[in-house]
Amino acid sequence: MFTLLSGKSSEAERRERGVNKGDASRNLFESNFQNFIADELHFSSCKLLPDNLNHLLRVSVPQRHLSGEGSHRHILSTIKFHMQPDSMSQLCTHFCKVIIIERLPSGVFADPFELQQLLERGVFADVAVFGDTNLELPSVLSNRSAVEIHMNVGPTSLLRQKLEISVDLPLHARYPPLDDSGYSKVEFGEPDLFLSCSMEGNGDNESCLLMPTNDRTGSRAGDVVWRIPSGIRAHTAIVSAVTFLAASISTILIVVTSIFYSDSKSCNNLKES
Amino acid sequence: MKLPKIHTLLLLSAIFRVILIVYGEWQDAHMEVRYTDVDYLVFSDAAALVVSGESPYKRTTYRYSPLLAFLLTPNSFIHRSWGKFIFSAADLLVGLFIRYILKKREVPEDMCLYSVMVWLLNPFTFTIGTRGNCEPMVCAMILWIIICLMNGNVVQAAFWYGLVVHFRIYPIIYALPIVLVLDPNFVQSGQKPRLVNWKSSQDNASHSSKEASDVHSLWTTVKTIFSRGRIMFALVSGAVFILCTGLFFYLYGWEFLNEALLYHLTRTDPRHNFSIYFYHIYLHYEHEFSAVEKLISFLPQLIVQLVLIFRFAQDLPFCLFLQTVAFVAFNKVITAQYFVWFFCLLPLILPWSKMKLKWEGLSCMLLWMGAQTHWLLWAYLLEFKGKNVFLQLWLAGLVFLAANTFLLIMFIRQHRYSPVFKQLARATSENRDKSE
Repeated sequence: MFTLLSGKSSEAERRERGVNKGDASRNLFESNFQNFIADELHFSSCKLLPDNLNHLLRVSVPQRHLSGEGSHRHILSTIKFHMQPDSMSQLCTHFCKVIIIERLPSGVFADPFELQQLLERGVFADVAVFGDTNLELPSVLSNRSAVEIHMNVGPTSLLRQKLEISVDLPLHARYPPLDDSGYSKVEFGEPDLFLSCSMEGNGDNESCLLMPTNDRTGSRAGDVVWRIPSGIRAHTAIVSAVTFLAASISTILIVVTSIFYSDSKSCNNLKES
Repeated sequence: MKLPKIHTLLLLSAIFRVILIVYGEWQDAHMEVRYTDVDYLVFSDAAALVVSGESPYKRTTYRYSPLLAFLLTPNSFIHRSWGKFIFSAADLLVGLFIRYILKKREVPEDMCLYSVMVWLLNPFTFTIGTRGNCEPMVCAMILWIIICLMNGNVVQAAFWYGLVVHFRIYPIIYALPIVLVLDPNFVQSGQKPRLVNWKSSQDNASHSSKEASDVHSLWTTVKTIFSRGRIMFALVSGAVFILCTGLFFYLYGWEFLNEALLYHLTRTDPRHNFSIYFYHIYLHYEHEFSAVEKLISFLPQLIVQLVLIFRFAQDLPFCLFLQTVAFVAFNKVITAQYFVWFFCLLPLILPWSKMKLKWEGLSCMLLWMGAQTHWLLWAYLLEFKGKNVFLQLWLAGLVFLAANTFLLIMFIRQHRYSPVFKQLARATSENRDKSE
């Protein structure tokens, strides 16, 4: 098993290091991601595949939306693969996995520990988070991250020429930079989609990575936008002033009470009783 | 109605905690929302790393002493709930210690029992232990330090104090009142200190003790500042702290120092929390705070701590309680688990409060809970509904500070001041000789 973003690291190796691979690809977004993917693809292309197969396999994301409200949401994507009817007959696939790479925009993150739990529950076949996985920093002080998800699909579903899967990825909002509108917009791009199939040919089993072409004709989901409440710069002066005023008043009240505290009341009470 | 005896209360509390831990296991397995605290999973992961011979700091967001990870290593090979049992045991121990301290100060039986119930039956405390939060251990250590001091066992108190400061840092605010209470006029090494009993503080004794505290004027304070007990306490606790910190620095390097110590000292969180400072910090997050700004925001905290210490140190449990409430209220970051820090001290001061449950006590409780609920409502709208209510949430934080301040003032005004220790006979006569 390999993951695209980490090259050829084995699953065992990854388990050892945990799902968080922050250090490995911290600069991922500084390099050209498409070039990176292209290189990886070239590296892992498969001899058994006819050259034109990538063109025979088309993919579209007809539905993509955010569910839930507030700072903890899920991005739900429905992914459709179309096979040209004659292409499958050329292949004898054992087993396929859909690989989804979500490059998260700045301002949202996926929690590696939460994903690990989903992995343990069998929601994903494999999952890894790359880039900045510090869960606490605001957007200004953090880098972007990407999530790679593997989901198993049996060979039978591919043979039906159409494959549709749904992916549900839990995400969390960081504190966004200040914005005078009170909301910061975070826009999601489309995920990168691949199929990884183990194939049989010449007596060998080989794992092949397919990079389907985007289906421009099919229905496409609209842009996914997450509006995250942000601090309003205009509040700065008043908030700072009142904060310190409140702290000062509170301090003075406690200090005065302490200094003028005397236990005389207890005597009065005793006398009264 | 016959009140349940302390043993029955402890037994029932223990059974109830076991049930909660077992229920937690069930909820974790069957429901979307876990019962277990997220931090407990972090502790457990860190403990598992220790078992496999690695640094617990390889688990991100593990920000505690390695001692905690060591303590929870059986999570990996006995049962994952091991730590919850340890924390809940500490929680019960706090109940026992509360009773011990109150008994030592000769508080009547029924009042002791009510006070212990304030801790053991507090929904906040029993859930925090059974959900796997380590704070009950800190509480138990703090109360044990008070017990050691009351028994004149300064070295042991110092040992635990050094350890608890290494473990959780915040008890550093108790250093000065402890040193002050180790007044050689009251506590002499090798001599059991005489305790002021509850009954005498209810009548004229409060006056005599007040006179006693007046007797040791500024000059005497300066003279007695470097007493044997104080130096011993400072040396032993300092040595334990440095030894623990040094050992773990040797084992885990800067990672330990940054995560377990420096992080807590410099923590400023721009994300919403009960603190009045959160929005101010968020609004300024894009640029660094200047040293002057940092000092100004630290000043209220410092002033309040110093005034409370110098005014109430001789009534140690009361002083620690006020200090903790004020420390949490003025802190730059406040999370709900910090409230346990003063919940464990509250039962120690209730028998000296003139506040009646009806209606002063109840209205204080409702006010504090109301201010908290009000804050939680805005926090819910921000976090789970995505509404921009930063301003309202910050205002709710101000209201919460006001509620805390009001409560502090109420507690001070309604308190019967009662120093823990009586003047030692020898010291008293010496003083008298001098004054003559």
